[in-house]
Amino acid sequence: MAFIECRNLTRTYTRGTNAITPLDDLDLDIEEGMFLSLMGPSGSGKTTLLNLIAGIDRPTSGSLTIDGHNIANSSKSELAAWRSEYIGYIFQLYNLVPVLTAYENVELPLLLHGLTRKERHRKVSAALDLVGIADRHDHYPRQLSGGQEQRVAIARAIVTDPRIIVADEPTGDLDKSSARAILDLMQSINRDLGRTLIMVTHDPHAAEWAQKTLHLEKGRLVEQDVPQSTTAGAT
Amino acid sequence: MKRLPFDYAVRNLGRSRLRLAATIGGSALVVLLVVTAAAFVQGMRRSLTISPDSTNVILLASGSEESVERSQIGNSVPSHAIAGISGIREELGTQFVSPEIHMALVVSREAGNPEELRTVLRGVTPTAYLVHPQTEIIEGRAPRQGHDEIMVGQLTHEKMGISKSDLAIGESLWFDDRPWEIVGHFRAPGTVMDAEIWMPLTDLQMAANNEELSCVILTLDTAEFADVDAWTKTRLDLELVAISESEYYASLQRFYRPVQLMVWVTAALMALSGLLGGLNTLYAAFSARTREVGMLQSLGFPRRAIFLSILQESVLAASTGALMACVFSWVLLDGVAVRFSMGVFQLSVDSGATAAGLVAGVLTGIVGSIPPALRCLRLPIPSALKAT
Repeated sequence: MAFIECRNLTRTYTRGTNAITPLDDLDLDIEEGMFLSLMGPSGSGKTTLLNLIAGIDRPTSGSLTIDGHNIANSSKSELAAWRSEYIGYIFQLYNLVPVLTAYENVELPLLLHGLTRKERHRKVSAALDLVGIADRHDHYPRQLSGGQEQRVAIARAIVTDPRIIVADEPTGDLDKSSARAILDLMQSINRDLGRTLIMVTHDPHAAEWAQKTLHLEKGRLVEQDVPQSTTAGAT
Repeated sequence: MKRLPFDYAVRNLGRSRLRLAATIGGSALVVLLVVTAAAFVQGMRRSLTISPDSTNVILLASGSEESVERSQIGNSVPSHAIAGISGIREELGTQFVSPEIHMALVVSREAGNPEELRTVLRGVTPTAYLVHPQTEIIEGRAPRQGHDEIMVGQLTHEKMGISKSDLAIGESLWFDDRPWEIVGHFRAPGTVMDAEIWMPLTDLQMAANNEELSCVILTLDTAEFADVDAWTKTRLDLELVAISESEYYASLQRFYRPVQLMVWVTAALMALSGLLGGLNTLYAAFSARTREVGMLQSLGFPRRAIFLSILQESVLAASTGALMACVFSWVLLDGVAVRFSMGVFQLSVDSGATAAGLVAGVLTGIVGSIPPALRCLRLPIPSALKAT
């Protein structure tokens, strides 16, 4: 059984009398430790798929099994607890809390884990160190560049040591060199920490950093690319 | 439950100084209105309250129970009462029996001055100081009979709408076509007497061409109210009715209850408008943070934790406004004189009014944050993350 297994996964939204189905009867397996990118035009369902895997949305039908648990049937509170353990989320616009320092932003998810202050400090320092922003730990987001903010956001995503890291257009708001540095960092996190990384992107260059790229269109899987240098894990 | 740090709520207050000022100001306005209303009602109630251990009984003309000023009883009532009622308090051979005239009169500061200063005069004898022990001469002396002298209360100038210096010792007030020199100042805190003018009984009788009395006030010792009441019923020729002083003031309080109710209703309506203004500010403040709320949920923070943090933030701001309003009330409102038909009372910002204000402040914070918080948390996480 794959680490992430989607079967007949469908998500339908109702707006007034219109039903929109951004994800339609999708079957997909993702092995643990894979760096996967999701591409496709707007409305193709890639972010919907990412949100379902991240447990912040629930499918209308089908099953979504992660590490042997079908999270499709979990309640909101069960999903919240599950997310804090399994998921690290990287956003396009970083979504750092502006009134907290870089250190405190990274510490936030650890507050859900009942750790002592000392344990939290150790983990936050390690995460900030890993993303190369330890010297800016006491800076507020407004005092950081976009690339530095995204590094803090990545540190926040990895600090709880989650099994899956999801990233929604993580380089969409960055210049080329910052984007390259962030993708490099994400690749090393995937490679060195062995974490499953799923990234939504519009940018084919960004997708090249992934081991595998899935193309979605109208809620369905239409194509899979496997760069020569990477190992495929998706079916 | 996993909670967001309290520090997060505190620091969120500093996100927008303008919004923080609006929230604190809105809360302060609500609290100020509540404290003012409470201080008004409390001050009025105090001025119409007599000590609960008062054993005074007022003898009035039958049918004039609602107003001492309308009452007229014979000059002989005091001596009849002393003779007919046993158990009246007595010290050094003096019975605690005070014949009095209460009269609303128009006076002026100078001869021929067209100004009309309305005041309440009380014609008294020395026994008045026995039956009204809360009365204390604080400056000068008591007026002498036959010398056209008067004594004014410490709030009389407020009742008349003139400055305190106009009623300084040595100044005069004109009525009955002659000046009456002010020779003393007295106080009777928390009573309507504080805003009266006192003068010798016979002087007022002559000035007003009125040989009768308004009332006789007795302080009981071993006698009980029922004894006095029974006596008035046996002396039908005197056409008297007995009312305990506490009951008399209680009836005055009942009379003014609709006014107090109106004050509360007005304050509540104005406070409601302040609350709605505060709600609007909080809506704007929290809706600007919708994406952040979505992010916190995506990290795994339950909605209850975020709701609690929003509540903490709102209550903190509202409590700050409440404290400021309470301090403002203590400094600027407490003791402010307010005129009313019975005289003058002082706004009383006591512990009760302060507590009412603080409770109103905390409630403003809670009630004001719930609708915007629910609106903010109502969105599904994916939609919240897309919010601009």
